[in-house]
Amino acid sequence: MNSSMIKALNSMNSYQLKMDLISNNVANMNTVGYKSKSAVFEDLLTTMEQQPEGFSRDGRLTPLGFNQGWGSKVTGIATDFTQGPLKETGVLTDLAIEGNALFEVTVDDAGTLAYTKDGSFQISINGNREAVLTTNQGYPVQATLPDGSQGSIIIPDGYALKIEADGNVYGVNERGAQVSLGRINLVNPVRPDGLVQVADNLFSVATGANANEVVNRIIPDSQNRIAIRQGFLEQSNVDYTKEMTDLMKVQRAYQLAARALSSSDTLMQLANNLRNN
Amino acid sequence: MIRGLYSAASGLISQQRRHDTITNNIANIETVGYKQNTTPLRSFNEMLLSMTGVDGQNSNKIGTWTGNVFAEESLTYHLQGDLTETNNRNDFAILSNIAVDDLVFDQSGKAVRANGEVVFQPQAYFTLQNAQGEARYTRGGQFSVTSEGYLTTNTGDYVLGTNNEPIQLPAGTSLDGLVLTSDRRLVTSTGEDTGLQLLISRIDNPNDLIREGDGNFRLAEGTAEPITEDDAVEVRQGYIENSNVDVLQASVDMMAAARAYEANQKIVQYYDGTLQKTANEIGRVG
Repeated sequence: MNSSMIKALNSMNSYQLKMDLISNNVANMNTVGYKSKSAVFEDLLTTMEQQPEGFSRDGRLTPLGFNQGWGSKVTGIATDFTQGPLKETGVLTDLAIEGNALFEVTVDDAGTLAYTKDGSFQISINGNREAVLTTNQGYPVQATLPDGSQGSIIIPDGYALKIEADGNVYGVNERGAQVSLGRINLVNPVRPDGLVQVADNLFSVATGANANEVVNRIIPDSQNRIAIRQGFLEQSNVDYTKEMTDLMKVQRAYQLAARALSSSDTLMQLANNLRNN
Repeated sequence: MIRGLYSAASGLISQQRRHDTITNNIANIETVGYKQNTTPLRSFNEMLLSMTGVDGQNSNKIGTWTGNVFAEESLTYHLQGDLTETNNRNDFAILSNIAVDDLVFDQSGKAVRANGEVVFQPQAYFTLQNAQGEARYTRGGQFSVTSEGYLTTNTGDYVLGTNNEPIQLPAGTSLDGLVLTSDRRLVTSTGEDTGLQLLISRIDNPNDLIREGDGNFRLAEGTAEPITEDDAVEVRQGYIENSNVDVLQASVDMMAAARAYEANQKIVQYYDGTLQKTANEIGRVG
């Protein structure tokens, strides 16, 4: 009897979630490296009512049984990994990745890795009083050092950063002398569904997934069309027009579901008033 | 006793069913690859009414009567939905317009041959394998790739290739690096063949499909054949097929169902009034 109500309620919940995602996208329109998200809908489980043989009569088009669905739900959130526009900032520690790749950062002393598209880096002073290249939140950027080991980029006193398109980092002093500081690690998200978004604009490998399968370390070159641009930032790839259109659509769908809910409420009221005296 | 009371009650139940179906359509406006449902109503079998014989006379026939109504089936319109570009390489959409013997299909996907035979337009579906290893069909093409490289739906069913095996991307390649060709093979951006080809099944009478939820359909009888080159089917990467629910129709139908329900309710009340008169007034003494 109240299945109409349950369906309307289910779908209003999922439409609400989609609206939340849209407002989250709009709120992050100016977040560096933000990737827009969208909801994936599925129709909910179907119940099948059995019908006896006698129901199979001329003109019937489908096999026996009467089935009904129970609304819709959001089964997943898809992240749109397309390239955001690059904006020139002129800041030497601002890096943008052209192409599908992520920076590698360490999030704790144990060396746990996370990945980010946000290249608005800073120079922070670590516990050993060294100037280290870190993200905005202070996580050191992971690099392959000139001696081949993994570590963070330490900038010697009096040197300015120079980063080439292939990720090689040099320190340049006032007299123009260069020292090699290492190469910034980039990874290619081979299985983007194995990455989960955590706080601070970071992605980490989902629990249970194998990091080697999910991401692939790559070196930028002309073949894979990946490059690092110093002095640029990748802007959020949220398309405002699209978000607004989607918002309008989902709002109307929500409205319609609310109408269905109040309509089934009316039906129930009618059933309650079957006996009018 | 009063047959109309039961007719009105069956009307209430049937209109409730219609209302349920329409609500479910409204609930799935945003569901990719969703196919709109409708509930055809049917009257009960005809009955012959006759007056019982009085004093040894033969009974008199009054005529036939089909008193009640019921929601017969849950019919799905397997029609093409609009495509939207998403630029997401994990999204696939089917554009299908399979021709049968020069027949012209109407808006409900139906055509009638010269000899009166009704033909429904065959449709094309992605072929899936569920956890039990059974074949399922879907038009919802928002796939994801597991960390082992399997192409799956969002509810975890494997997408099958033309070799009837789940599609597994080679290690180190993502869908971003693969391009879908017009014959549905996945090749790398440099044109190298991965040996993977999406299995698209053609179902001659889509009404044989039973909805299972999660966008999946099960084939009740008959078999699904892989599509051939002659079938006008195109699969596009980076697109989704929107739900084919007609919003305007849904909201009009909902109003109509609610009002028809109300009308049946009024009829029950009238009969109730009649019964009250019968029981309380006609038989009253003094």
